[in-house]
Amino acid sequence: MYRLSKLKYVFPIGLLIAFFLDGALSNVFSGAFFSYPYSMVSHLVLLWLVLGYFFENEVQIPLTGFAVVTGIAFDLYYSGILGLFMVLFPLIIGLTRAIGKYFSPTFLTAIMIYFIDLAVFEFANYLAYMIIGIAHASFSSFLLYTLAPTLALNLVYFVVLYFPISLLYAHYNVEPRS
Amino acid sequence: MRKFFSNQRLVMIVVILVLCFGLMGGSVALRNRRSTPPLIQQFGNDIVGFTSTVVAYPVNAFQSGVNSLSELTNAYQENRLLKKQVTELAQVKVRNQTLTEENKQLKKELKLNHSLTDYTTVTASVMTRTPSSWQNQLIINKGETSGVTKNMPVLSGSGLVGRISEVNKTNSKVELLSDSNEASNRFAIQISNKSGKTVNGIITGYQKSTGLLLMGHVTSKVKVTKGTKVITSGMGGVTPKGLYVGKVAKVSEDDYGLAKKIYIKPATNFNNINIVTVAELDS
Repeated sequence: MYRLSKLKYVFPIGLLIAFFLDGALSNVFSGAFFSYPYSMVSHLVLLWLVLGYFFENEVQIPLTGFAVVTGIAFDLYYSGILGLFMVLFPLIIGLTRAIGKYFSPTFLTAIMIYFIDLAVFEFANYLAYMIIGIAHASFSSFLLYTLAPTLALNLVYFVVLYFPISLLYAHYNVEPRS
Repeated sequence: MRKFFSNQRLVMIVVILVLCFGLMGGSVALRNRRSTPPLIQQFGNDIVGFTSTVVAYPVNAFQSGVNSLSELTNAYQENRLLKKQVTELAQVKVRNQTLTEENKQLKKELKLNHSLTDYTTVTASVMTRTPSSWQNQLIINKGETSGVTKNMPVLSGSGLVGRISEVNKTNSKVELLSDSNEASNRFAIQISNKSGKTVNGIITGYQKSTGLLLMGHVTSKVKVTKGTKVITSGMGGVTPKGLYVGKVAKVSEDDYGLAKKIYIKPATNFNNINIVTVAELDS
């Protein structure tokens, strides 16, 4: 039960920190992240949400709800264009669930699924911004200069943060004695 | 698969897609038209912005710590160079003061209250940057309550870096000159050469591969040499006159050979901005 678990505090706090770290890291390391022609986009929020699915076990975190709320905050605060991330975050959660149920959750399957999630996420982001006229990049340059570096950065995040976060969940994911 | 695309699901997906794109299109249109976003959006942004500082503060502190460490290593050299400049600066400052005084008196005599060079500034610090490869946007910690309004020019370091694109009560968004949005870098600028002749124009684009600003469609015959300083011209009535933009890097003919294209090296590196100054034209 999510409501009885200590994760009820830990999960939202982690989500909040991930949300703000995305922007803060993009600002602090903007020289490294956005050096021409490559641009790496930090997606710690996505990492936190997807890892939430892998580590929740019996707790059943209401991930879709959290995804919608963070999506709206992301739209309003970061991009100023409402409507994209509020749909995209829950979509990725759904995708992770759809693929994840066929595999037993190990590090290797998790990183594969996260890879697919990231690729779909970035592609949908590119497509939507292309349609409303914010992105002006050809598909090949998107693949080479945005998708590849972004995947690299976020997979590094994943490798570095997977075990610490799994320990965190193991520590807090204990049902209180009733 | 058949179950996935059942009728109900399909209708849901289409409705969500339409809603999503409607919202996106609507908010883009709204952003271009209105001076402030709807109240509910402002409210949300203010709350998020407030909590953002809590997380952004330690990260920024860490960065400034690293920066000061790296600066420490060449402090001695820099100090010697700067000392020389400081002595010259004192003279310039005094002269500047007297000229400003004189300017004020002359303006009074002419009964000229506000000219295009009179502006006040609001200093703000950068909270975060949009984590996106399609938008070059900063979020700064001053908003409507500090007198920031939409379309004000934003300076950092020694030159112009962008324009205010959205204003909330306590924070606002800045679109950098490097943003691909066409409205973000259309500033009226002018270049004066050594003989005092002036070329007027606007910034028409940003070349990502070289990091240079473009001033296109220049039909003037005035000769502009490399290294000439470029400033805003104050035309259009939103931007004050005399904000430093950068230096001319290259002059070339445009694709049809009829007009000139002037490439400008911006004075500030757009990827390392911590403190910004918002300039407000007095009126």
